[in-house]
Amino acid sequence: MEDIEKSFETKELTISLGPQHPATHGVLRLVLQLSGETIVKCTPYVGYLHRGVEKLGENRTYFAALPLTDRLDYISSMNNNVGYVNAVERLFGIEAPDRAKYIRTMVAEMGRISSHIVWLGTHVLDIGATTPFLLSMAQRERILDLFEMICGARLTVSYPRVGGVRNDISQEFLDQLYEFVLEFPAHMDTFETLVTENRIWKERTVDIGIISAEEAVNWGLTGGTLRGSGVDYDVRKYFPYDAYDKVEFDVPVGKKGDCYDRYLVRIGEMRQANRIIKQCIENLPAGPVMADAPKFTLPPKDMVLKDMEHLIHQFILITKGPSVPEGEIYVGSEVPKGELGFYFISDGTGKPYRMRVRSPSFIHASVLPRLSEGGLIADVIANIGTIDIVLGECDR
Amino acid sequence: MEPLQVADKLKERFSEEVLDVREFRGQVSVTVKKGRILEICRFLHDDPDLYFDYLIDLCGADYLGKKENRFEVVYHLYSIRHRHALRLKAEVSERDIRIDSVMPVWVGVNWHERECYDMFGIVFAGHPDLRRVLLPEDWEGYPLRKDYPMKGPDKEYSGFVDVLERSKKYRQYDWYQ
Amino acid sequence: MMAVYASHNDLDRMGIIPRGSPRQSDFMFVAGTVTKKMSEIVRRVYDQMPEPRYVISVGSCANSGGIFNTYSTVQGCDSFLPVDVYIPGCPPRPEAFIDGIIRLQEKIRNEQFRWSRWR
Repeated sequence: MEDIEKSFETKELTISLGPQHPATHGVLRLVLQLSGETIVKCTPYVGYLHRGVEKLGENRTYFAALPLTDRLDYISSMNNNVGYVNAVERLFGIEAPDRAKYIRTMVAEMGRISSHIVWLGTHVLDIGATTPFLLSMAQRERILDLFEMICGARLTVSYPRVGGVRNDISQEFLDQLYEFVLEFPAHMDTFETLVTENRIWKERTVDIGIISAEEAVNWGLTGGTLRGSGVDYDVRKYFPYDAYDKVEFDVPVGKKGDCYDRYLVRIGEMRQANRIIKQCIENLPAGPVMADAPKFTLPPKDMVLKDMEHLIHQFILITKGPSVPEGEIYVGSEVPKGELGFYFISDGTGKPYRMRVRSPSFIHASVLPRLSEGGLIADVIANIGTIDIVLGECDR
Repeated sequence: MEPLQVADKLKERFSEEVLDVREFRGQVSVTVKKGRILEICRFLHDDPDLYFDYLIDLCGADYLGKKENRFEVVYHLYSIRHRHALRLKAEVSERDIRIDSVMPVWVGVNWHERECYDMFGIVFAGHPDLRRVLLPEDWEGYPLRKDYPMKGPDKEYSGFVDVLERSKKYRQYDWYQ
Repeated sequence: MMAVYASHNDLDRMGIIPRGSPRQSDFMFVAGTVTKKMSEIVRRVYDQMPEPRYVISVGSCANSGGIFNTYSTVQGCDSFLPVDVYIPGCPPRPEAFIDGIIRLQEKIRNEQFRWSRWR
C-alpha cells in the first residue's frame, strides 16, 4: 500500500507561462509553482518591452515627447495623449479653449470604448468564446475609422496638442459619430446577451480573484479594477479635467470585487462613455481649438508657411522648447486601464528635468500573485484578463 | 483638509525631520530627512484626520551636481476618504544610498521600490524581494541616472552579445552560405 | 495586429492561421519593439521553428528601432534574425500587413534553391 502511495506522490511543478504566450496579452512572463492544479506561488516577470520612455522624455522638448505617449498603451493612445497634454498644460499654466476641451473629452471617451472593446473581446476569447471577439472587433473598427477621419492615423493618433487639439473636426465626422452613438447601445445588448448571463462565463468568473475594497486601495489599484471592489475613486470625478465637470455620467461600482464584478463595471463604463460622447456632440460649443498663448503653443501651420515671424517662433519652440516655470507637478488622468499620471520636474528649460509615468498596468501586474495564489491554473488566465494590462504601458 | 494644513500638521509632529515646504500650482511638496521615513509614512497613513490610504506613486529623481544630496525619493500620497493630496520627498545622498522601505504601510509600493532600485540604484532596506524589475538581472548600471548615456554605455549588455554571437554561429547552416 | 485577425481583415482567408506553438509554425511575425531582454527569447522561438521558416518584421520598431533609440532597445531585429519581409509603419495598417503577407507568398512561390521542393 505504501508503495502505491509513493508512486502517486505529487511533486510541485514549476512552469513558465510566457513571455510569448498568446493568453498573456503581450510579453508578460509568469513562473507558476503548481501542486496538482493549485497554484502555490506565482511570480510575474515584466520588462520585456522596456524601451526607456522616461529617459527618452528627458531628452526631448515637451512637444516632442507627445508621440511617445501613444506607444505607452497602444490600445488607447488617445487617452494617453489627453492625459499628457493636460499635465503639460497645468505645468505651463495655460488652459485650452472650451471647444477643444469638449473635443478632447469626446475623443477620449471614444478611446475608452475602443480599449474596453478590445479588453472584452480578448478576455472572453481567453476564456473560450470566439464570437464576441469577432463582433466587438467590428465595432472597434468603426471607431478607428472615425479616428482616421479626424487625424489620419488609426492607432497612434497624437491628435491632442499642448493648448488644444491639432485641427477642428468636420460636420461629417460629427454626423457619423452621432450615428455610431445611437447604434452602440444595441450592440452592447448583443454582447451582453452573449456573455453576461452565460453559464460558462459565470462559472469561470464569479468568485474568482476576489480582492476587498480596503486591500485594493492599499495595493494602489485604480480604474475598473478598483471600482469592481466597490470604491468609487475615479479621476474624472475627483479631479475633473477637460469637460468632465460639464457632462453628466455615473461611475459604476461593483460589490464583491471578483472577476465578474470587474466585468460588469467595465461594461457599465462603456455605456457611460457612450452617454458622455452623446452629450459632448449635443453641447459642442463654437470657437477656436487652440489656446491663445503664443509662448507655449506652436503657431498654426499655415501661418508658419506664410509669415517670417511665425516661422522663427516655431523654430525656437521646436529646437529650444518653451521657457517653463520652475517647479514640479503631478497630474493624473483616467485612462481605460486606471489612473495614468505624469510627474514632471521642470528646471526652467524647454525639456523636462525628470519625466515620470505612473502607469496603472505596472501596479495591476504586481497584484497578480495576490489574486492567483491558492486558485487554479485556469483562473490565472481569467485574472490576467480581468486586470486589463497592456505591457507597453507596464514596462514603458 | 487643505494641503498646506497637512504640511503644518506634519511639521508640528516631526519638526526636526521636515526640511522644506513648497507650493507650486496648488500642489504641496514636503521635503524630509530620510531617517524616520517609515515612521512619518505610518503617521500619515494611520492618523484619522489625514488618512492617506492610497499611495499614488513612488519614484526617484537624480539631481547630479544640483543639490548636496544627489537623490530624492518622491512619494505621491492621496486620501480617498478626505480627498487631499501630498507630495513627500526624502533626500538620499550618494554615499549612504539606503532608505527604509514603506512596504509595511502600503503593500502596493512593492514594484515601485523595485523599479526605483532598478533605475537609480537606491537600496530600500527591509524590502522582501529587492531585484531588478524592468531590466535583466545581470544588467550593469542604472539607466535613469543623469550620468548614464541615453544610448547606453559603450560596453554592450552581455546577454545581447550572446544572442548576436549565436546568430552568427547558426548562420553557417543557412542554405545560401 | 489584432485587427488583422478579426472580422474586417480576415487573415484566415489568406491561409494564415495563428498557432500556439513555434513548433507548428512556418513563419513568425516580429511585432513591436524588440528589447535586449526579449531578444534572447525571440531568437529561441525562431530556433524552435522547423524548416522551412520565414520571418516577417512588423512595424518601424522591429525594423529599425523606430523612435526608441535608447539603451534597452535592439536597433532592428535583423541584427540577429534573417528577416524576409519588412512591413513599414508605426503601427502598419492592416492593408500593409496583408500586402506583406502576399509578398512573402510570392517570394516562396518564386524560390528555386533555398527551401524548394527539390531539396
